[in-house]
Amino acid sequence: MTAVPLFELRGISKGFPGIKALDDVSFELRAGEVHMLVGENGAGKSTLMKVLCGAYRADRGSFFHNGKPVTINDPAAARKFGIAVIFQDFTLVPYLDIAQNIFLGRELSGRLPGLIDRRRIHAEAKRVLEMIGFDIDTRILVHRLGVAQQQMVEIAKALSQDARILIMDEPTAALSDRETERLFAIVTRLKKNGVAITYISHRLSEVFAMGDRITVLRDGRKIASVLPAETTPDRLVTLMVGRPVDSTYTRPSRPAPGDMALEVKNLSGPSGLADINLNVRAGEIVGLSGLVGSGRTEVARAIFGADPISAGEIRLFGQLIDGSTEDSVRRGMALIPENRKTQGLALARSVADNIVLAGLGRLFPSGIYIPARAIKAARAIIEKLRITTPTPRRPVATLSGGNQQKVVVGKWLNADARFFIFDEPTRGIDVGAKAEIFRLLDGLVHNGAAVLMISSEQIEIVRICDRAYVMRDKRIVGELSRDDLTEANIVRLGTQQ
Amino acid sequence: MNARSLALQTMSIARVPGVAIVLVVLCATFGLTSPGFATPANIANILTQSTILLLLALPMTVIIMTEGLDLSMGAVLTFASIVFAVTVLTTGSPVLAFLAALTVGFCFGLWNGVLIAVLDIPPFITTLGTLGIAQGLSLLVTDGQSVVGIPHSIQSIYSGTVAGIPLPVIIAALAYCGTHTLLYHTRFGTYVFALGGNREALKVAGISVRGLLIRTYVFGGLMVGFAALLMTARLNSAHPTAGIGMEFDAIAAVAVGGTSFERGNGWLLGTLLGVIAVGVLRNGLNLLAVQSSAQVACIGALVIIALFIDGLRAEP
Repeated sequence: MTAVPLFELRGISKGFPGIKALDDVSFELRAGEVHMLVGENGAGKSTLMKVLCGAYRADRGSFFHNGKPVTINDPAAARKFGIAVIFQDFTLVPYLDIAQNIFLGRELSGRLPGLIDRRRIHAEAKRVLEMIGFDIDTRILVHRLGVAQQQMVEIAKALSQDARILIMDEPTAALSDRETERLFAIVTRLKKNGVAITYISHRLSEVFAMGDRITVLRDGRKIASVLPAETTPDRLVTLMVGRPVDSTYTRPSRPAPGDMALEVKNLSGPSGLADINLNVRAGEIVGLSGLVGSGRTEVARAIFGADPISAGEIRLFGQLIDGSTEDSVRRGMALIPENRKTQGLALARSVADNIVLAGLGRLFPSGIYIPARAIKAARAIIEKLRITTPTPRRPVATLSGGNQQKVVVGKWLNADARFFIFDEPTRGIDVGAKAEIFRLLDGLVHNGAAVLMISSEQIEIVRICDRAYVMRDKRIVGELSRDDLTEANIVRLGTQQ
Repeated sequence: MNARSLALQTMSIARVPGVAIVLVVLCATFGLTSPGFATPANIANILTQSTILLLLALPMTVIIMTEGLDLSMGAVLTFASIVFAVTVLTTGSPVLAFLAALTVGFCFGLWNGVLIAVLDIPPFITTLGTLGIAQGLSLLVTDGQSVVGIPHSIQSIYSGTVAGIPLPVIIAALAYCGTHTLLYHTRFGTYVFALGGNREALKVAGISVRGLLIRTYVFGGLMVGFAALLMTARLNSAHPTAGIGMEFDAIAAVAVGGTSFERGNGWLLGTLLGVIAVGVLRNGLNLLAVQSSAQVACIGALVIIALFIDGLRAEP
C-alpha cells in the first residue's frame, strides 16, 4: 500500500510517574481499513488510543492528517478530524431515550427560542441508526436496552458526529456470539463507507477474522505491525508475551499439598458464571487467570459468599458452606480484595485497629474493646509479617502499598484464616514490594494455609503458583500445572475461542 | 419484543402504579369515611392547598434527579415570606415585595448551587446549613413574632378566582407546564437527566456540570420565592415558623411520585400525583379531625408504602 494514510501517529511517547506507558510508538490508520491493536494487559493499548482521541497529551511525537502535520491537544481537536471513541464504559444516560443520547450536547433547536426540536432529533437519530442497520424505536429509554443495543447506540452517536476514524476498546467483551456477528456486519459496512477503524481486542479469533492489519504492543513499545496473512495465532501470542513460548520459571520448592481446603463443584451464578469447578489444597497456591472481565473476581466473590450462587456447591475444609460471608469468615476464609483502599482497609484508622478488625469477637469476647490487648495482638502480626511501621498506632494511609497489603493479610491472620483469596495482590505495588508480597504468600502456604490468587499478570501466576485455572467468558477453560503452566499457554487459553 | 409495546410498557407498568394506587386508595377511603370529602368545594380546596407544595416539589424533583437534595426549601420559604411581608409594609408596593421575595430565593439558590457545584460540598450538608441560616435570619428579623397588618388585597392572590377556577390552581397549572417544558423540551432539562444518570457523558459532550448544578439550585430558589408570595397571601401574614418542614412534604411527594434518588430517573407527572396524594391525605385526616403531628407520621408511612409498591413492580 502506497497511499498516504488517513491519519498517522509517529514516535509517540507518553510517561506517567514511575512508568513509561508508551515509548516511540508509531501507528497508522487508513480509510476503509480495520487496524487491530493487541497486547497483554498493561501493554499500552488504551493509552495509545487515549492519545489519539486527545484524552491524553503525548510527551513526544507527531500527528499527520492526510500526510499534513497536525496537533491534537484535547478531545475537541481530535473531533475536528472526525475521531470518535467508543470506550468500554459507555457514556450513555440511562433515563434519556435513544435519540436524546445520540444527540446529547448537540440538540437540534426548535422554532421557539430555547426549546429543542424533539421530532427532528428523532428523525435524525432514525437516519443514523438506519446507516448501521439497527431498527429500533428511538423513544425507548436507554436503560431498557441490553449491552449490545447500547453499543449500537454508542456507535450511532459516534457516526452522527461524522466520524471518519472510529476507535473501539474491546467492543465485543460484553457481547454474545450473535451480537458480535452483528457488530462485525456493522464494522464491515463502515469499512465500505471509508471509515478507518481501530479496534483493541483480546480475542485472537476476532483479530484474524476482522483485522486488515495487526499491531502488537508490549511494555509500551510497538513490537510488530503485520498483515493477518503473514502470521499465525501462535506467532502473535509469542509476540505479545515477548519470550519464547516454551520458557519456564522455577517455582520455590513447597511441601506436598495436604488436605482439600476448597472444593467448588458445578458452580453457576447470576453474574453469568457457568459450571465452575476448581479446588485448592492446603499448602498450595493456585492461580486464577484470564482477561479482565473473564469472571475471575465473580468467582472469588461467589466463593466468599459476597454474591449469591444459582447452582453448585462450595466446600471449605470438607464442609459445605451456606453462602454467607459471616459463615465463610467463621470457617477460616479470607478475601483480600482488589481494591484494598476502599474494600480492605479503614485508611484513616491505625495499623493496630485494622489488624484486629476481623478478629474482634475472638479477641474481646466480652464485647469491650481493650486497647492494650489490641496493640499486643497487632504487634505480634506486625512482627510476623514484617510490616514496616514505626508504631502500631500509625494511620494505615501513611504506609506504602506493600505494607498496606500486609496489614490486610494481617487482619485475616489475626482472625485465624486458613484459606486466602487474593484478588490482584500486587496491583499498584512497586517491584520491590511485589517480592515481599510473594514471600508473604509463600510463608502462608508453608504454614499450611491454602491460597487462591487472581492476577492479570501471567508472569506472576507462572512464577508463584503451583497450578492455575484459566477463565474466559465466565467459564474455566483450562487447568495448567507444572510444565504446562507457561505464559503462552495462559494467553492462548484466555484469548482463543 | 415489539419496540412500541416496550415504550408503552415503560409508561404504564414501571411507573404509574405506586403513586396511582396510593391515590386511588386514599380517595376511596376518605370518600367512604367522611361525607364532606368528595364534594366539588372540597376537591377545589385540596387542589388550592396543594399549590404551595407543588411549587416546591417541582424543583425538588429536578434537584433530586441530579442526585442532589434541598433541605433548605422550607426555611428559605419562611424567610422569603417574611421579607415579602416586611417589604410590603415598609414600601407599600406588592410588586417590589414580590421582587424582594424572588431575590431572596434566587440568592439562596445561588448560594446552595455554588457551594455544591464549585466547592463540592455534599448537597445534604450544604442545604442543611442553609436551612439553619435561613431559619436563624427569620427569627432574627422578626424577633420570633408574626409580621401582620399586610394589605387585604394581597390575600386575593390566594383566594381569588378566574372564571370560577381558584387562582392558585391556575398558578399551579402554569408552574407545572413550565417545569414540564423545562425538563422535557430544553437542553437544560435533557442535561438534568444526564447529571444524575452519567456525568461522564456530559463531560465527553463538552458541557459544564458546574453551571448546570448551579442553575438547578437557582431554579429551586426562584420557585421558593414564588411560593413565598402564595404562602404570605394565604396566611395574610408572615410567621417565622410558617414554612418549617415543608421540604419534608416536598421530598415525600417526589418520592411517592416515583422519582428515584439515583441514576437521574425522574418523573414530573408522578410528582404532581404525589403532591395531590399528600394533599388528599392531609385534607382527609383534617376532615377526620386527626391532629397535625399524627398527619406527619401518616405522610411518612405514605412514602414507605408507595415506594414499597414501586419496589414490588420494579424489575430485579
